[in-house]
Amino acid sequence: MAVVRGVIGSEKKPFFDDPRVRAAFARHGLRVEVDTAGSRQIVTDVDLGRYAFAFPSSVPAAERIKRDRGATVTYSPFYSPMAVATFEPIAGLLAKAGVLSNSGKSHQTLDIKKYLELVAKGTRWDEIPGNSAYKARKRVLLTTTDIRTSNSAAMYLSVIGYVANGEDVITSDAQIARIAPVLAPAVLDQGFSESTSEASFDDYLALGAGKTPMLVVYEAQYLAHVFAGDGAIKPDMRLVYPSPTVLSKHTLVPLSAAGDRVGRLLTEDPELQSLAATYGFRTTDPRAFAGLVAKTGAPAAADLVDVVEPPTYERLDRLITTIDAARP
Amino acid sequence: MRILLCAAALLLTAACASGPAQSTDGPTDGPDVLRVLAGSEIKDLEPLLRRAGSEAGVKVALTYTGTLDGADQVASGRADGKADATWFSSNRYLSLLDGAQAKLSTQTKIMVSPVVLGLKPAKAAALGWNGKPVTWADIAKAAGDGRFSFGMTNPASSNSGFSALVGVAAALSDADGALGAEQVASVTPRLKEFFSAQRLTAGSSGWLADAYARDPSVDGMVNYESVLLGAREPLTLVYPGDGVVSADYPLTLLASAPEEKKVLYGKLAAWLRTPAVQKEIMTGTHRRPITGGVPLDARFGAAQLIELPFPNRRSTADELIATYLNQVRVPAQATFVLDTSGSMKGGRIDALRQALVALTGADTSASGAFTRFSERESVTMIPFSGAPREPVPFTVPERNPETVLAAIRSFAEGLSANGGTAIYDSLRTAYDRPVESGHYGSIVLMTDGENTDGSDYADFESHYRALPEEKRRVPTFVVLFGDSDVEEMRQVAELTGGAVFDARETSLTSAFKEIRGYQ
Repeated sequence: MAVVRGVIGSEKKPFFDDPRVRAAFARHGLRVEVDTAGSRQIVTDVDLGRYAFAFPSSVPAAERIKRDRGATVTYSPFYSPMAVATFEPIAGLLAKAGVLSNSGKSHQTLDIKKYLELVAKGTRWDEIPGNSAYKARKRVLLTTTDIRTSNSAAMYLSVIGYVANGEDVITSDAQIARIAPVLAPAVLDQGFSESTSEASFDDYLALGAGKTPMLVVYEAQYLAHVFAGDGAIKPDMRLVYPSPTVLSKHTLVPLSAAGDRVGRLLTEDPELQSLAATYGFRTTDPRAFAGLVAKTGAPAAADLVDVVEPPTYERLDRLITTIDAARP
Repeated sequence: MRILLCAAALLLTAACASGPAQSTDGPTDGPDVLRVLAGSEIKDLEPLLRRAGSEAGVKVALTYTGTLDGADQVASGRADGKADATWFSSNRYLSLLDGAQAKLSTQTKIMVSPVVLGLKPAKAAALGWNGKPVTWADIAKAAGDGRFSFGMTNPASSNSGFSALVGVAAALSDADGALGAEQVASVTPRLKEFFSAQRLTAGSSGWLADAYARDPSVDGMVNYESVLLGAREPLTLVYPGDGVVSADYPLTLLASAPEEKKVLYGKLAAWLRTPAVQKEIMTGTHRRPITGGVPLDARFGAAQLIELPFPNRRSTADELIATYLNQVRVPAQATFVLDTSGSMKGGRIDALRQALVALTGADTSASGAFTRFSERESVTMIPFSGAPREPVPFTVPERNPETVLAAIRSFAEGLSANGGTAIYDSLRTAYDRPVESGHYGSIVLMTDGENTDGSDYADFESHYRALPEEKRRVPTFVVLFGDSDVEEMRQVAELTGGAVFDARETSLTSAFKEIRGYQ
């Protein structure tokens, strides 16, 4: 059995730890061991010489690693749209504040433009009229992971950056200089943020609305628990979708021949593809995912129309650095 | 079934119910051993961790360290190669240090405990806080009016104190987001009001609970919910409605760990999150489970706990700690009884000079910066040999402390070794000095040998027992060094409610730094 070690975004760890996934790899003579790190950390801090593959959670980070390491191919075996995990009383308040509405389809959408207006006004939860459910003095802010380390925060920045940039993908430093002051409060005023999406989702599940009234998540993080029926998603929890949203395309960069095999198997092996769907990921063949949604009645959006592209890694990196320099 | 405890400097505390932390009695490393640098807060998990050997195939070797000291070790890379993982009650401060992120690999939260106020039930009832919504502002008001007193750990040494300080500052500042440095300045008067009621301090949450149990005059503690629920005498827990700061105990793999240790880490983390172990953590240590599948016991209460934002900038966190130490806290009255007998000649007296100089601002590391003598602190030096020398008092002023710190530094540099060892006459001199009102008094006794001159331990004990209550409240922290009489020193610590610090295997500098958390 050949041991193949990779460094991955934390949200994919449960998938790689699954005995069924390990068995599927074992049938091909591989034992895949993974360490987790934020996607940006994978690009900047992690010693990639120790790994056979890097598996960040976005195309921009993967493209950058591919270039830095001189890799020739990448694999994008599954993806997940960015979503917001919240709670029933909070969703009600957001609707009252005019930020959350029914999409007319199966899911509710959070209007990012209106949300940014709320952020600009500095609205606190206890200032929302008629709020007796969540009397916190904290500002109405989506909880994110640390923009310096984590891909989910970077994906979120892509979305709010797109809206703040007049509904357009950021393509210039001048645009960044203009919108960074608008975006900074949305990510920095929440205070300390977790470095990984797994850690902040732990908080959401275990500590509830007191700590995390609404959290930027990968759709897959939430759906994995719904599909598994493990009881972690409580009746008062809600999954809603930002509008616009962005797709996190989990992209594997092979750093050795063994890493390349892992990438190919994840993309082509039907069993690994259907196992990925049980972890809430949307795969190339949509049937496995759709089947699980139908079977569990999961609150997954059937079709997301308002999807934007993230900026390039360098632009996103510049945006993060500029915002981070404005820490309070 | 081997748990290896390589305690750093804190050897044992006289009042410590959990008993002495022993140095190792087995291998500190091996193919199935995960070496974990840990906060002393997780000491109560030792019995559980012993079972990780048979149930998860991982033996856990724990080395304990203070919060900021541990953060220092990780960020500076000094932990690389010595530890495979860390387990502190929180990684928040650590994550703010430059270079720390690159040192950390996978982080797995294991359990949760908010920092809240626990009061004697009669006091809570008298204040009208039973089952009624209470805010930190209510608590600060009652504290400022002198209606209750409490103990809390030193925020520079212990995460519970740091979390409490952040929580109280965030709540009292009326801030609606993360605190910035300006808000620290504006909230300082309200922090002074709250902390005017603090009567006990400590370098660790466990020691604080023990000191609280010994002192019936203190009404409560700000501590982890888990410590408060585990107190020997039941406490009424007050959960401030405006929010708390919680510890989340992330078991964290160091990026430098070798491959085989990463596998052990994965096994241990997975085992700790199994429903059976999560349930056991909850019932055995009063902490809240992190995995959603384990229902919460009724004793944790049904109230929703708002989590207060934590600063996301190191300068804000540091400013908060410095403000607490230099402006807010009840100032310390620290007396140092220092052996300068002939046996201290050479390297030992040098070590003593260095240890004292480090406390005058010479140590600029994250942990060192907060161990220096603080503004408003009163420091008295009583060097001794065959008899105590005339005590030399210093008072660090509220502004421009540099001159006095420099004077302490030159005093320390001028120490020389000669003559016999009159331990108890010298300690008695320290106890006979007046207690300064509005100060928190403590004595450090450092000696490298046995008593050779003057009165003996029995004389000291009867003298101590005859002292007025306010003097008997002053604990003596003894430092073992060279050829100290371990048994007698332990008796001194036990008698006075102090603790024993062992500098024989480490250094006087690190022992003194650690003691600063208790002063």
